[in-house]
Amino acid sequence: MANLKDIQRQIKSVSNTQKTTRAMKLVSTAKLRRAEELAKRSRLYAAKMNQVIAEIAGRIKCNKVGGIDNRCFADIENPKMVDIIFVTADKGLCGGFNIQTIKAVKKLIKEYKDKNVKVRLRGIGKKGVEFFKYNEVELFDSVIDLSSKPDKERADEFIMTSIEDYKDGKIDGLHIIYNGYKNMITQELHVNNVLPVDTTNFECEEIQNSILEIEAQDEEHMLDSLVSRYVEYAMYYALIDSVAAEHASRMQAMDTATNNAKDMVKSLNVQFNKARQAAITTELIEIISGVESMK
Amino acid sequence: MDKLKLEILTPNGEIFNDDVVSVTLPGEEGEFGVMPHHASLSTLLEAGVIDIEKDDKSVESILINWGVVQVDEAKVIVLVEGAVAIRGDNESDIANALEEAKQLINDIADANPAIASVSARIESAAKRLL
Repeated sequence: MANLKDIQRQIKSVSNTQKTTRAMKLVSTAKLRRAEELAKRSRLYAAKMNQVIAEIAGRIKCNKVGGIDNRCFADIENPKMVDIIFVTADKGLCGGFNIQTIKAVKKLIKEYKDKNVKVRLRGIGKKGVEFFKYNEVELFDSVIDLSSKPDKERADEFIMTSIEDYKDGKIDGLHIIYNGYKNMITQELHVNNVLPVDTTNFECEEIQNSILEIEAQDEEHMLDSLVSRYVEYAMYYALIDSVAAEHASRMQAMDTATNNAKDMVKSLNVQFNKARQAAITTELIEIISGVESMK
Repeated sequence: MDKLKLEILTPNGEIFNDDVVSVTLPGEEGEFGVMPHHASLSTLLEAGVIDIEKDDKSVESILINWGVVQVDEAKVIVLVEGAVAIRGDNESDIANALEEAKQLINDIADANPAIASVSARIESAAKRLL
């Protein structure tokens, strides 16, 4: 049986850990509330934006609008190179949050590799970037402190490279992978096929009797500018959704850690008491046998 | 009379969602009005003022900096980046909204010739309410 001092030391260390994890949980709870609020307010806008884009894309697909040849809405049959942007947290200690995203990224890369498509990986968030660096997967570029402090301007700047390259034909697809907020206890992994605009779920019949009219003179310009805004917003939304999810995930992880520490202290206390009793018993036996021998 | 459903959304939430009689939007190629049964249309909006005519004939003005609008027969969805509604229950609320609106105008970075007329329009919209 371990000696008393050792157990005492262990109890102290575990309860200190417990204090830390509890504090971290509280911090995450506070941060979560703010991030959640931001994500919630934007959710409606993001959904409507997707809807508008999907409708335009669908109409273009169903040939309701003649003469539009925009790459963003085209069906690219043999992609040669695609961009994958992933968003992970800058910090760990948030359960499976980062690893889930990383796994999805690895899966998608493999899928493309099997099809002989080159992948250009762009990373946001220290954890993911470090992981791929360690595993010697080449990253095209990366940003470290954007995922903990989402900023529209910096997000726009980052995504701009992909939009431009897509329009110039250097890349043939763009995916954004991130772990989004679903509710307090669950996160939802999103793999968004941002470009070309996804029209697979669009039913041509639905729009048969309404004809889309785009201000004629500038339809190219309008679609270009609309798509850029759409992609920029998709990126920004991914960031704020990811932050909310990160804090929710960390809050939960820290809650579990606090509970585990509590259980550990409990069992260590039992061990300590047992050891103490054993020590007393031994001492008593020693005294009694000493007295017995004197008789 | 037929109604037109108008939704105005910003990244910070919804600022208008109601049935209206008509709405005037600042399109990139000029202002245009939308009434019920308008043909489907998608276009960009530039910095300007959206005038909404409501059921009770009152007019509400909302300042925007950029947007995209999707019109169909029964509804209008406007997605904007930044918007300030010129409204309020009392004088100080309206003054605050006006102040915010001016701030937004200043934030629109590129020197736009339309801006001057926009600030004049929001001033008059505010006066109408007072």
